[in-house]
Amino acid sequence: MDTTNITAKSAIAVDIGTTITRSLLFDVASGKYRLIGMGTAPTTAGAPKFDVTEGIWRSLEELQYFTGRTLLSEKDGVIIPSTQDNQGTDSMVATMSAGNPISVVIVGLLDDVSLKNTRRLAQTTYTNITAEISINDCRTATDRINLLTRERPDLIIITGGTDNGATQSLLSILESVGLSSYILDESQRPHILYAGNEKLQDEVKAGLDKISKLHISPNIQPLLGITNFRPAQKELNEIYKEVRRKQSGGLHEVLSWTEGSFTSTASALGRVIRFLSEKYEPEKGVMGVDIGSDTTILAAAFQGEETLRVYPNSGVGGGAAGVLERSSLEEIKRWLPIKIPDTLIRNYIYNKSAFPDAVPTEEDHLEIELAIAKQALRDAALDLIPSLEKQIDSTGILMPAVEPIIGAGRILTEAPKRYQSLSVLLDGLQPTGVTTLALDQNGLLPGLGAIAEINPLMTVQVIESNTFLNLGTIIAPIGIARPGTPILRIRLYREDGRSITRDIKFGSLTILPVEMGEKVSLHLRPLHRFDIGMGGPGKSGKVNAIGGALGIVVDARGRPLQFFPDEEKNIQRNEVWRKTYRKYS
Amino acid sequence: MITKVKQYHELTSIKRERVLPVAGDVLVRRMQKVAPNDVIVVAPLAPEFILIDIAQGLRVSPSKADELLQRQAGEELVKGDIIAGPVGIFKRVVRAPQAGRVKIAGEGKVLFEVDAPAYELQAGMEGTVTNIIPERGAIIETRGALVQGIWGNGKITYGILQPVSSDLLQELVPEQLNIGFRGTIISAGFCRNPNVLETAGNIPIRGMILGSMSSALIPLAKSADFPIMLIDGFGNKPMNRAAESILIANKDKNIALNAQVYDPFQGNYPEVIITQLTKSDPDLPPTTDSLKTGKKVIIVNGLLASRIGKIEEILPQKRILPSGISTRVASVILSGEEVVEIPLTNLEIITE
Repeated sequence: MDTTNITAKSAIAVDIGTTITRSLLFDVASGKYRLIGMGTAPTTAGAPKFDVTEGIWRSLEELQYFTGRTLLSEKDGVIIPSTQDNQGTDSMVATMSAGNPISVVIVGLLDDVSLKNTRRLAQTTYTNITAEISINDCRTATDRINLLTRERPDLIIITGGTDNGATQSLLSILESVGLSSYILDESQRPHILYAGNEKLQDEVKAGLDKISKLHISPNIQPLLGITNFRPAQKELNEIYKEVRRKQSGGLHEVLSWTEGSFTSTASALGRVIRFLSEKYEPEKGVMGVDIGSDTTILAAAFQGEETLRVYPNSGVGGGAAGVLERSSLEEIKRWLPIKIPDTLIRNYIYNKSAFPDAVPTEEDHLEIELAIAKQALRDAALDLIPSLEKQIDSTGILMPAVEPIIGAGRILTEAPKRYQSLSVLLDGLQPTGVTTLALDQNGLLPGLGAIAEINPLMTVQVIESNTFLNLGTIIAPIGIARPGTPILRIRLYREDGRSITRDIKFGSLTILPVEMGEKVSLHLRPLHRFDIGMGGPGKSGKVNAIGGALGIVVDARGRPLQFFPDEEKNIQRNEVWRKTYRKYS
Repeated sequence: MITKVKQYHELTSIKRERVLPVAGDVLVRRMQKVAPNDVIVVAPLAPEFILIDIAQGLRVSPSKADELLQRQAGEELVKGDIIAGPVGIFKRVVRAPQAGRVKIAGEGKVLFEVDAPAYELQAGMEGTVTNIIPERGAIIETRGALVQGIWGNGKITYGILQPVSSDLLQELVPEQLNIGFRGTIISAGFCRNPNVLETAGNIPIRGMILGSMSSALIPLAKSADFPIMLIDGFGNKPMNRAAESILIANKDKNIALNAQVYDPFQGNYPEVIITQLTKSDPDLPPTTDSLKTGKKVIIVNGLLASRIGKIEEILPQKRILPSGISTRVASVILSGEEVVEIPLTNLEIITE
């Protein structure tokens, strides 16, 4: 649809990140919505300012400077709506990820059912689960009360029981929650989100409404085996906003500028991925990845069904030490193509956590950061995959078909070479079948997710305007063979009629040189019953592909990637792969 | 470009909020002079409760149990005091399991708060109380030297500062530690030997300030009984010259070492405060400033980390670093007139 035929509305999307506040201006250019410009400034949500507006103001000043459009007025702040002489903007949305994670205690009936779901719900925003309570944890009511008063969480999430299921066990836990909340100062009482057995809602209201900040949402598990996170996720996002409003000044002003269109960055990322999944191929999902300084976010959606995971304290800046502490030095070292002493790696990671804005000056240091990014992403992917809508193996470790996979975060967008960004996504996620890896170079995803709520057409048109950099089409067969065994025959047809044929061997990484943007047709014939996502093991098929920054990458290294117990062998193999990439970048 | 200002000051105004997260009794008053060990506020930071099922204890219904309650919320009890009862032929009663108070009572149950020693929050520095935060704590102000670090093991102390050697550039080894350091806060260049922490704990010293430390020692440092603060980070970096000169100049003085856990979002930095008697009234130090030609800076990352220099020029064009990253850099003159190009993101300002 041509936007000149409709009443065009401009929009500013502000993202308040851990270190950087970014403002994006979208408006109509050449009949379509486009990104017009971007401004950045240091975030001022934390000490010493504790007021987000200064960072927003400065980023908007930079945006004004770059676009030449007046957006700010000393008297009124952000000029909304836009004036006839094209000053200001028609709307504004804001997203935020800055701030320490919200401390959460989760409460459920049983460890392996309701607590698992509660954990999944808590992981849809920036939370730190400090304790878990269930009926089979052997705690007495006294223990629970002492635990809750000691932890003093920002939020208690209570789930459990299918609708019309058992009530007594949950009621006994609710009593402890109520008592612990009652004895706290009113200002310190936690938010309580109840998303359990709907039969208990009235009793929950009667018991907890007056003594806590109670939020009730529909049961996340209304029937055994059936889950519905969306309403509770929405409520959790509201709680996130309230907690942040208490922690950082200026959010009241932001809410007024945005008329309430303020959400967590993760939630906005989830929304845009869900949105895209409704637009793209129905048989495949869409995935978004954000590897930030403090946090890694994964969002996947299949035909509008979204799965969102936020991993605080897991990133390449302030969260780098968290990656090391949660996994291990050995796991991080597996990704390195060069030998670096253990002490140097460990010290570098802790220094990076202390100085998250600093850039790596040496090649070794960059390799450590790329390895941290891969490990953070691998940990996240292994946690996410089992809960995705579609599964392709019983073990839940293989990534189901998703296309495209869009990556964001400075480690990806500012990597000196495109192969480095691609290899982080490829090694961390280990996609299967045929997919496309793309890069959100300007950090538009959260803003577009927030805008989708007020102007979906703008989101669609901006995304269609070559917003994302195509890193490459990936072909990743699944199966097991001896290294060196031919497992896939590829015939690549160019538009001018030329073609090439390649036999791909197991264990190899091959790049088919296809120019950026060049359209090609691929005939894929798997051998030895390898599966390339064409309908089952051994099934052949044709796909149209477009060359990315790295052309077309055939990743026949196996799924999941296997490592040698010997560190030296891993280094040698990683160096072979790096040379393969370098040859084509 | 705006960047952080390192808080290394020979003389500055220092203002700190010392508060507890829960309500308590504030024991100081406005304009009171406080010493580091003075208690500012006391509160039951980790109160302990016992939920007593009175109805079950008396073997009656909850409503009947409520009728048999002898105590009201807030009532102080000693161990063995009767809470509810008597009832029945055997005159069953429910007694206080420990000294404490009834917090809530009803529906056949009593939530009983056990008497526990209250947490005492100390001033942690010498100074004057300039404001009271009702029920939470106070704001203390002083003038003196300030050195902030980037890692602390969460402990706090006060004592005499004793540099281990005449400069703070060398590695601290166990042989340097002797009984002469007992009860003092020692400072040194860097540490990578676990035996240093063990020996220091055996002497025992009161605190430790290091330029850097091997990250492999973090678990040991966290479990040490004394505060440990790192100024420059992890590795084998000598202490930066700016912090070193302040600590050397204040040898044998009483210092407050607050090795609190580093939380840049909340503005919590481990730090050393050395109060000085002075009539001058310096401004509070800035926390951010713009990188400009002539500014004194410290390098925070890379091979030259912890080196100090002066910005000669901020280059207009981006440079490609050995890592391949393209970024804005400044040419920085280090001591000895060596000129190096450093990414702007890897610099923090030192005020002079």
